[in-house]
Amino acid sequence: MENSFRTPAQWYDGQNAIRHEGEALWDGSGTLSLRGFSSELTLPFADLQFGEHRGGELVYRRTSEPDFRLILPEDLPPGLAAKLPEKKVYGGWIDKVGLGKATAAFAAVSVAAVALFLTAPDWLGPRVPQSWERNLGDAMVGDFGNRLCSTPEGDAALAKLLDAVDPDEQQVRAGVANIGMVNAVALPGGQVLLFDGLVQDAETPEELAGVLGHEVGHVRERHVMTALLRQFGLSILLSGANSGVGDTVFGLASMGYSRDAEREADEFARERLEESNVSPLGAARFFERIGGDSEAEENSLVGWVASHPAPRERAQAFRKAAEGKTFAPVLTAQEFEALKSMCEDDPDVEEFDFFF
Amino acid sequence: MHYEDMQADSAFGFDGNWKDFARIAVPNLLLTIVTLGIYRFWATTRERQYLWSHTRFVDERLEWTGTGKELFIGFVLVLLLFAIPVFGIQFVSQALVMRGYEAAGVALGLLPLFAIFYLTGLARFRALRYRLSRTRWRGIRGGSNNQGLGYGISYMWKTFVGYLALGLLIPWSMTSLWNERWSKMSFGPYEFNAHADSGNIFARFLLFYLSPIIFVVGGVIAAATGALAGYGLGGEDGAGIGALASFFILAIFFYFGLGVIAVAFYAKFYREAVGSTHWEDLHFSFEASTMDWIKLLIGDVLIVMFTLGLGFIFLSYRHWKFMIENLEANGDILLDDLTQSTTKTAKHGEGLLDAFDIGAF
Ligand SMILES: [Zn+2]
Repeated sequence: MENSFRTPAQWYDGQNAIRHEGEALWDGSGTLSLRGFSSELTLPFADLQFGEHRGGELVYRRTSEPDFRLILPEDLPPGLAAKLPEKKVYGGWIDKVGLGKATAAFAAVSVAAVALFLTAPDWLGPRVPQSWERNLGDAMVGDFGNRLCSTPEGDAALAKLLDAVDPDEQQVRAGVANIGMVNAVALPGGQVLLFDGLVQDAETPEELAGVLGHEVGHVRERHVMTALLRQFGLSILLSGANSGVGDTVFGLASMGYSRDAEREADEFARERLEESNVSPLGAARFFERIGGDSEAEENSLVGWVASHPAPRERAQAFRKAAEGKTFAPVLTAQEFEALKSMCEDDPDVEEFDFFF
Repeated sequence: MHYEDMQADSAFGFDGNWKDFARIAVPNLLLTIVTLGIYRFWATTRERQYLWSHTRFVDERLEWTGTGKELFIGFVLVLLLFAIPVFGIQFVSQALVMRGYEAAGVALGLLPLFAIFYLTGLARFRALRYRLSRTRWRGIRGGSNNQGLGYGISYMWKTFVGYLALGLLIPWSMTSLWNERWSKMSFGPYEFNAHADSGNIFARFLLFYLSPIIFVVGGVIAAATGALAGYGLGGEDGAGIGALASFFILAIFFYFGLGVIAVAFYAKFYREAVGSTHWEDLHFSFEASTMDWIKLLIGDVLIVMFTLGLGFIFLSYRHWKFMIENLEANGDILLDDLTQSTTKTAKHGEGLLDAFDIGAF
């Protein structure tokens, strides 16, 4: 390996556009001398950076003078080439480990990241403090004020129903919404709404207790937070493209739960009903009815049916829980009637005028 | 005295080839996929390094000095400064609607749309500035000291006015914005200036503007004729089929015909805009005819189709080559006076542009 060499070179000083042509001389030391007709200079190898490799030429830059350019032929003597900064193809560490290994490493990290992102709602949701969820829910939905039906007798009946399925010290907030659809939702922030249509549809208070228990189950098992996180993740992926109000708030309430979550909520309802000595047959009846052939109801029930497990199967589970037991009525006939007439009797109830 | 005579041969040349480009584009695609898209900033940079270094201006190649990192930072900045606030605004506007303040909620929800309108103009300006400031020729770069904030406003009102008079001022808004954008740019010590005249492209625009009306009138006549012909052949049923067939043929013609006329307008606009752009004693011209543009676009479609979509990685190569091969420059450059640009350079890349996915020139 020679330890001195001269090779043709071109350079630009970075101050103006004049091209300097001459020779690059190397005497084996740590500097490179450029000798030309119009310019002479000496630069330390340590000051040189690799720029690019273009059509038979190598371009180097200077750290101390960023716009300086030295252009050398690509077939440099090995001694000089070893002194000059290494060529870069992909840049960074990809050149060091090679394209194949880099690709494999990136793929592994990406798969892990995707897995983390997809499962995050499931393990993160239950760990979000309830108070945070309550604040977030209040910010998103607020309270519905006059749009919930309220009479003293109806409120008392609803409270009694709630006591049966939500024995916790701090109860979820339940209300009857002035909406004619047969549906019920659990909203962010521990708020559960029975729609008036569902209340009217119910034949016994036990049916309402079963549905209410199911929705309370969604809140208590943290399904709402999980669904909310999933929705946030989705809207991050779609860069907020899909962000209608109905989509985020009510959409997640009716569509955002997995079938496992639905089973968990059913189980929660059954356990609470049993503790409170309330018959689960009401819930069974309800599911049988919506799973049955009631053509007229079909439209209003589509949301419920589509996102929940097969009603027949669910009804069976509730029926089984009732076997060999006797129960006390959850509401008196008077209380049930108060609940039914709640929306009609509330003098200043407002329409739910959005998205329905 | 260093003096470059430009009359001799074409000022711009491109000597890349698609096989070499594939050696860059294919690994780029691979790395972009396995990094869930994050590598694309570095991929773009590598592509540009190739395209720039195979582009000759007079007797020296261009050089791209932008980095993937700065493009990435630009993207993250847009995310922080724009996307997250928009997300927050949407959240607040939803909450307002939920609470019954529908008007306030909707008004707030519209705010991001205005912001996007403004930022589109700003992004266009910034992208051009970024590209000039990262381009080296003989070690010299370009740029602009203007931040483009005023251009964003111009973009909003000129685009708005363009559509106001039944769209008849669109040519004016296009040329005027081109002039404003380029006149704030410089390369080395010299500023660009542009004085494209919308009067020169207005006839083409009118052709584009009026053709739908002509098509519709012609279409009704043709359909009636078709129906009559059908009636002659097969009575009532024949009339229906005849009319339907006429409309079908017309719809195809309408779609492609209008596309071709739009390209014709665009080709004319480009020739006018580039042709009236100057840089000190140099003036530029762009030679591509409508037919050249159509060939380019049809080629794009065929390449993408016959490679089941994979060919899209060659589109940036094709478009750059098309631009350079049709670009011409005439005049003199005094190299002694061509000193380094003193414009400030931004530390980050064209994040805004990436976010809105629009072209830079
Ligand atoms: Zn449910």
